[in-house]
Amino acid sequence: MNSNQSRITALIADPLTIAIAASVALLLIGEILSPGFAQGTQIVRLLTVAAILGIVAAGQNIVILGGREGIDLSVGSLISLGAVLAGNMMNGQNSGIPLAVIVAGGIPFLIGLINGIGITFVRIPPLVMTLGMTAVIQGGLVVYSQGVPSGAAAPLLSGFINQPLVFGIPGILFVWVAIAAIMLFVLRRTSFGFAIYAIGSNERAATLVGLPVQLIRTLIYGFSGLFAGLAGVCVIGYTGTSFISVGDQYVLPSVIAVVIGGTSLAGGAGGYLGTMAGAVALTILQSVLITLNLDVWARQVIFGLTLLALMLLYGRQKKLRV
Amino acid sequence: MTNALEAVGITKTFGAVRALTDGRLTVARGEIHALLGANGCGKSTLCKIVAGAVAPTGGTVRMAGADVRFRSPRDAERAGVALFYQELSLIPQLSVCENIFLGRELKNGPFADRKAMKHRANDLIALFDGVCGTGLNADAVVGDLPPDQRQIVEILKVFAQDAKVMIMDEATAALDGRQSQRFFEILKAKKAEGVSTIMISHRLDEVFAVCDRITVMRNGVTITEMDTASTTRETVVHDMVGDVRAAAEKVDFIAGRAPSLTVENAFSASIRGVSLVAYPGEILGLAGLQGQGQSALLKGLFGSDPFTAGSIGFANGAVQIRRPSDAVMNGFAYVSGDRGRDSAFQGRSIFENIVAALMVQKRLKIIWPSQLKPQVNKVAEDLKTKFAGLDMPIGTLSGGNQQKIFIARWLATAPKLLLLDDPTKGIDLGAKADLFALMRQQADAGATIIFYSSEDSEIIDYADRVLVFNGGRISAELKGTDMTSVNITRAAYGDAA
Repeated sequence: MNSNQSRITALIADPLTIAIAASVALLLIGEILSPGFAQGTQIVRLLTVAAILGIVAAGQNIVILGGREGIDLSVGSLISLGAVLAGNMMNGQNSGIPLAVIVAGGIPFLIGLINGIGITFVRIPPLVMTLGMTAVIQGGLVVYSQGVPSGAAAPLLSGFINQPLVFGIPGILFVWVAIAAIMLFVLRRTSFGFAIYAIGSNERAATLVGLPVQLIRTLIYGFSGLFAGLAGVCVIGYTGTSFISVGDQYVLPSVIAVVIGGTSLAGGAGGYLGTMAGAVALTILQSVLITLNLDVWARQVIFGLTLLALMLLYGRQKKLRV
Repeated sequence: MTNALEAVGITKTFGAVRALTDGRLTVARGEIHALLGANGCGKSTLCKIVAGAVAPTGGTVRMAGADVRFRSPRDAERAGVALFYQELSLIPQLSVCENIFLGRELKNGPFADRKAMKHRANDLIALFDGVCGTGLNADAVVGDLPPDQRQIVEILKVFAQDAKVMIMDEATAALDGRQSQRFFEILKAKKAEGVSTIMISHRLDEVFAVCDRITVMRNGVTITEMDTASTTRETVVHDMVGDVRAAAEKVDFIAGRAPSLTVENAFSASIRGVSLVAYPGEILGLAGLQGQGQSALLKGLFGSDPFTAGSIGFANGAVQIRRPSDAVMNGFAYVSGDRGRDSAFQGRSIFENIVAALMVQKRLKIIWPSQLKPQVNKVAEDLKTKFAGLDMPIGTLSGGNQQKIFIARWLATAPKLLLLDDPTKGIDLGAKADLFALMRQQADAGATIIFYSSEDSEIIDYADRVLVFNGGRISAELKGTDMTSVNITRAAYGDAA
């Protein structure tokens, strides 16, 4: 009885449960405000948008798990870079898709590695390193594209993201599920995943068991770049064309999704399931706000407040536990 | 004549631990007074109480005959007591001058008088003229200075306070012979001016050359106070030790065996030329006062603080240890006494805490908990660890049980060389006994075990042989019936057995 009770309390306090409950509640609110909000096709649409955020947040998730004030603010510009590169590789041709994925994933991966090298070997704080990198990429994009959007999504890619593939579900959702499976497997069943938690929990102890701490931390930022680049491919598939600041709107939400999902900003605790639920909840919230006719800046305010409120909430919870 | 400083009946408890039960110290005006005792005898606590850094639980401190009660180090400073901090008080980004006068800047009206401070700092530095090397001046940034010059700055910081009583706790640790010599000359000059010094030192040589009187402490109690001129080293050592503890009969491991580990002429920041051999099946103890190079040796062997010179041979071959992973691959294991800082993955499960080392050593890429759990469970249970389940967070265990888990972490890798750095720090007696039984079991299975303990009794009871450290060097090797507390203490204070 007692253990059952504590199990129930633990379940209710679990961030994953909270995020799912919040999603359902937001769906209901949306339905009340605008009947039809929670109908099937609309939910699929919401999940498609959530998938893109979820892919970015996968990278943000491991960066934050790795601790030492880990955060990747360059994901926004890397999404833009991925989208622009993919657009130029495809130029509306289906045959360009494989190259687009390789280039739009590969170059952000390399840039992410540079972030990682700066953070681990030169000991630049992650916030400063990735913020500086954002400026470099944004400037580079302006030079590269000369300020005009160019390139276009291949029809096959657009269809994969916007059109149902099977059972009315678009291909991107299957991709997201595949990425989730990989994330969960890596974090829970591989030494690389164990090592991410270890360095996030206690870097010194990780060094003292012989883990290659610096290599792991560098790779984490590389993978964050990779995920952002791939999300960029999805973005151009979703919108058709790209512009050079298309990724900016994902920076803050990617962090919030991770935090809603219960990953500690201090590192070493959390996981991807919660982050996925966080991405969904956040996407629905955004949609509700749009339904309310709030403009982009008002939404920005609400997002920022959400993050701060979460920090307050989780911060208190931790204190109570000690 | 009244005494400069008097502490009577000082007691101090930290939680359930009694650090001091009867601390007494009487320092006359214008004398150099040595405070001696083994690790944990309470001498540092007593000094901190006298300097206002720790509040006593009971007892009286008097200065020049009047009762005083210091609420902070600043209180004590105002009353004329200055404490030497071992490098802890310097701010690396500030200059020598700024560090010396930090918090007690010379003023000209409401403003800091930079000119006067610089002038005074240079006067102070001149005290070490000719022995302090180049580059030490008022404007030098402290972080750029070598260790000996940093220590000189710490000393000057004490001198700058023009105190009546100076407490010098291991103030010569980083100094070379000529620098120490000069330091003692300055103390003698100050003595002539009526300034008293309380000196804690790990060298009986220094004590007998410099100090007028000696106070000996043991187990939180002041045992004796004597004039240096009318006592002998032998008496002092016996007073520090109390009941002589001798080892039970020990097996001689050296006979007919080839060593598993050889270290030749190793150097690092706190080690100055250490050579040793260790044998398979042997438990080798490292003893001495704290911070004399024992931990540094273990960290050097494990690669977390690699040797800067010297060579390591293991299992008939030379090995290069540059980082911990090199050591792990060679079958070395290292358990620190500082669990929270060096071992614990807080917030992670017991299982994860254990498999961390195994996964490095076996180069595991994929981890199937269902496959590893029986093995991990067995190691943890062999250690008599009490835990509800491998999936519970490490933080749910007591300190002693956590330490067992961190040992289990390494036993899972079947180590050939087990390095233990004061592993019983803060764990209960039952867990300690389990731990030593386990060490013996590993040794009997053929492992080589080197352990440092800050408690001599652990070494006498459980080690087969002991190396005593003093100032980064091995001052004595003791085995068999020579492994007595007297011999260890004597060697810990720098006298060969």
